Amino acid sequence: MKHGFRQSMAWLHTWSGLLVGWVLFAVFLTGTVSYFRPEISLWMRPELHGAAPNPRAAEVILAELQRRAPDVPSWNIQLPTAHNPVATAFWRDRTAERGFRLIQMDPRTGGELSARGTAGGDFFYAFHFQLYSMPPLWGRWIISFCAMFMLVAIVSGIVTHRRIFADFFTFRPRKGQRSWLDGHAILAVLALPYHLMITYTGLVTLMILTMPWAIMTNFDGQRQAFNAAVFGIEQPGPRSGQAAPLTPIMPLLDEASRRWQGGQVGRITVSNPGDANATILLAQRDSERLSVSRRTVIFDGTTGAFQSAREPDAPADETRGVMYGLHIGRFGDGAVRALLFLCGLMGTAMVATGTILWAVKQRQKAGALSRPGARLVEILNVGTIAGLPIAVAVFFLANRLLPVDLPQRAEWEVRCFFIAWGIAALHPLLRRHRRAWQEQLWTGAVLFLAVPLVNAATTHSHLGATLRAGNWVLAGVDLMLLVFGVLLGATARIVGRSRPAATPNRAAEGRRAMPALAE
Amino acid sequence: MARSAAPASERLRILGILSRTVAALFGGYAAAALASVCLAVGLPTSPAEAALTGMMASFAVMTGAVVWVFAAATALRAWIGIAIPIVLLGGIFLLLRMGHGA
Amino acid sequence: MLFALALAYAGFAALCLAMERHHGEVFGSRRIPPKRRLALRLIGWTLLAASFPACVASWGWVIGPAAWCGLLTAAALPLVLLLPYAPRIAAGFAPVAPILTGLAALAARI
Repeated sequence: MKHGFRQSMAWLHTWSGLLVGWVLFAVFLTGTVSYFRPEISLWMRPELHGAAPNPRAAEVILAELQRRAPDVPSWNIQLPTAHNPVATAFWRDRTAERGFRLIQMDPRTGGELSARGTAGGDFFYAFHFQLYSMPPLWGRWIISFCAMFMLVAIVSGIVTHRRIFADFFTFRPRKGQRSWLDGHAILAVLALPYHLMITYTGLVTLMILTMPWAIMTNFDGQRQAFNAAVFGIEQPGPRSGQAAPLTPIMPLLDEASRRWQGGQVGRITVSNPGDANATILLAQRDSERLSVSRRTVIFDGTTGAFQSAREPDAPADETRGVMYGLHIGRFGDGAVRALLFLCGLMGTAMVATGTILWAVKQRQKAGALSRPGARLVEILNVGTIAGLPIAVAVFFLANRLLPVDLPQRAEWEVRCFFIAWGIAALHPLLRRHRRAWQEQLWTGAVLFLAVPLVNAATTHSHLGATLRAGNWVLAGVDLMLLVFGVLLGATARIVGRSRPAATPNRAAEGRRAMPALAE
Repeated sequence: MARSAAPASERLRILGILSRTVAALFGGYAAAALASVCLAVGLPTSPAEAALTGMMASFAVMTGAVVWVFAAATALRAWIGIAIPIVLLGGIFLLLRMGHGA
Repeated sequence: MLFALALAYAGFAALCLAMERHHGEVFGSRRIPPKRRLALRLIGWTLLAASFPACVASWGWVIGPAAWCGLLTAAALPLVLLLPYAPRIAAGFAPVAPILTGLAALAARI
């Protein structure tokens, strides 16, 4: 093929990155946004903003469930946290619409809280790993496929970029192609541990779908046997038929916390509530552990006696748990997630600069006569890199502006997102390339800046109120939207000011700087 | 890319890339899947642990295979280089299977 | 936490000044006396290493090491973006930041 290892890796880097670049951009952006999934979900349900945490929430909620659903096989309760002051309860109910009931509860009163229909932060999360509206299995396969390309692009990129340490701090702005190359390399190198980690762990989160052969051989194709062995999903015992009241929950929470050296309970599962055979399972909060394999402890539901505890200790299982945990980033405080968010944005920008770099290089080679392939890449670049942020902003606006009692409201929010993205994807067909960039970036900037204003006009939890109350969860979402707006506006200004085409000697300079990538 | 090259050699070049792509996608996946089952059967830990280890390691195998396929000097060498580990891993898997089944 | 970030920033700045191109941007001469280069490198690596225990102190042994990796990225990015526009400010910020954040951390503890 090419002469020499580095040249062939440069070729591999270019094509493995470019072919799936736009999917990767969308996956990176929605994944990065998903670090703040609970915060966004709360922001999108202003009806819940009055809820405040309550240290005795578990007690209040169990009492309420006892009243509402005494005769069900089990209750699942997610306790409120600092990011999300609302408790969630789940139980099976044959008479309910989808065979189960999932309600949000006020931790102080136990009352059910009803909010507007919205997918909330879950929309970005579902888009990130299964492309939302696709059949889920197809979406997951496509994303795993693209993630594999990403891993290949990262590895071949490291080989191609031989001056990693010499150019570690080098960014030369306003130099056309070379600036794009510098920017791409810096975004890649500075967050390299993150990029490798997030791509590999992403593949691991979907490996049961994409690489099931080891399970097939070791468990004769019996998924359930594997699940029981790995995830320890145990079926509760049968009901005895003898009624018995539940033991008080607060002492059990303290006992669990003592066992976990101060760790807090995040989830409660009560099996056979109200029966003599009841059991209570307590699981530790995700935010306190790197690994997602849960530490759990089980108590007798009527006497409160300790029954068993599960400490994840199998090395491979714990490795998987840590990989999964690193990927979804629920561990740590706000500062850790802010770091992850920053790294995620750098990954998003890395993919964007990569595909733009390709288009810039084609322009320089072909001059004004760009080939159809290059034109297609340019159109996809604008429609994705500038268009997707527009769709995200429209999703936030739709959440505030659609009538609260609209039927299928959650679906309409998602439709608004895809309609906006569709328009953004078609728009560059009709405009000159540079104008298309400018118009879309400015549109995105204005839309993002508009969200906090619309929020102030339509709800009571606007920046004026949330900042004064020190509610950083809600204020943070508004502030982040403002930052996005300012960033898009700044990018639009830079695009507007930069010169239409770099002069030939600059192109030659860029080529000298990185012979392997200049083909 | 040598755009000035004659059409015949251009067609050959594209065929070479296509054939390597097939080798990378399917050969790479086969090698990764076989490596995962070999680890799953061969590791002396519990079945669940061995299966998880094999699955987690498989993506590194696939990356290595893809890099090899596009780094090899000719498409033929790329195919040979991917076929040998597949045959070897397949053989190891069958041997391990027989050892366990007996 | 801000202290750890400032330490990492200062560490990267020292390593960066030990390179000819960036030394030239800040001090006006691309030639670095060998002793100064060695000193800058030593200081740089020491400060980067010192940000690790600072991370472990704020997040504990489980999350601290993961946070440290992200923190190094977050420290290097502003340095790289600031260097081409205002190299002297970027370098001058390096000794100031750890002192200020260190004092702030001490004040918060008292």
